[in-house]
Amino acid sequence: MHQTIAFRTAWVITGSAADAEEAAQDAFVKAHAALPRFRTGAPFRPWLLTIVANEARNRIKAAGRRERLALRVAEERRPGGAVPSPEAALLVSEQREELLAALGRLSHADREAIACRYFLELSEAETAAALGCARGTVKSRLSRALDRLRSQMEAGDA
Amino acid sequence: MPELERMLTRLGRELEYPPTPDLARRVAGRVRAGAAATPPEGRSRARRRILPPASLRRALVLALVALLLLAGTVFAAVPGVRDAVLEFFGIQGATVERRAQLPEPPELRPLDLGGRVTLSEAAAELDFTPLVPAALGDPDAVYVRRELPGGELSLAYRPRPGLPAARTTRLALLASEFRGDLHPDLVGKLAGPGTRIEQLQVGGRPAIWIEGAQHFFFYRGPDGNLIESELRLAQNVLLIERGRVLVRLEGAFDRGRALEIAHSLAPSPGE
Repeated sequence: MHQTIAFRTAWVITGSAADAEEAAQDAFVKAHAALPRFRTGAPFRPWLLTIVANEARNRIKAAGRRERLALRVAEERRPGGAVPSPEAALLVSEQREELLAALGRLSHADREAIACRYFLELSEAETAAALGCARGTVKSRLSRALDRLRSQMEAGDA
Repeated sequence: MPELERMLTRLGRELEYPPTPDLARRVAGRVRAGAAATPPEGRSRARRRILPPASLRRALVLALVALLLLAGTVFAAVPGVRDAVLEFFGIQGATVERRAQLPEPPELRPLDLGGRVTLSEAAAELDFTPLVPAALGDPDAVYVRRELPGGELSLAYRPRPGLPAARTTRLALLASEFRGDLHPDLVGKLAGPGTRIEQLQVGGRPAIWIEGAQHFFFYRGPDGNLIESELRLAQNVLLIERGRVLVRLEGAFDRGRALEIAHSLAPSPGE
């Protein structure tokens, strides 16, 4: 649903659920006022996410702070019959921890790009809208963020 | 997709996200209370200029609520519909979404319109006064569905000269009526890029005309989700707001004939 993706995008940007809620609410009120100007035939989600991201960034600017995005793995709920072996589970769990730790060492901008594209699974156009950059620069920004993530993971292994 | 990107996508699906708050209710409340019309000092002139007229604004509030609440539910419920909403139209009682892709058309099946009654029995059972198109006279059959609060009325007209059968209903006209104010998003339409969707006014009241190409009609359940068994193909449709009532006219007629029928809607004789 749009409300979920809007809220999570604002959360990735602000790092705070309370700020994300306010930003998403304000964004939807603004989207409502701007709905008559929405260009017919244009994709809706990037348009909406641009408004959401602007609201989220305005909130950070106004507050003069940005909370650190707390990334946690949810309590595991394995479907019946798909329980991995203890060794496999340990490996997967170690990989996750390693990845989360490496993400924690990245800049906010890199984490934001990765979160939008891979965690929220936004399209390139939606990621560009959320990051406030041109669609053409999404690929290069992500590529640099992934390079730095790889470096962080290697540094963690060393 | 390279391994690192696959790992990130997998991790994203396992992350714990803060629960999504009930934005739809809060935003609709703010919009209805006129939050958008009372911006902070210094910006009021610019903001007021872009506000649409009150009737359109009300339709937009409903459209927005539906966007927040419902967009994506159709998507999740119908395999093959994986696109974002391209266009969105709202009226009290119904929403229309234009999408790049549509689901596979379901087979045509008999309509479930409820129990057959007389017009005066329907008037006694319903929580609103039935509207009958005087241009066509009394309907050939009248049905009432009672499950819906306020009830739902269906008027069926057999084909006649100048008014052929619609391939979707085998009727010349199927007119459905229910309390749109009680069920702001009860019926939905899913249209593809080739369908003409036009917002208009009928007797000064908001209306939507949907014509051509394949499009769908469905009811939403109490949870707001599409009821798959209710998804069916629709022919040309005019949706009209008449006070508290949403009137839906479906047939093989063109826009002019639909408007003529709509203009002739009047409380059933004897009411």
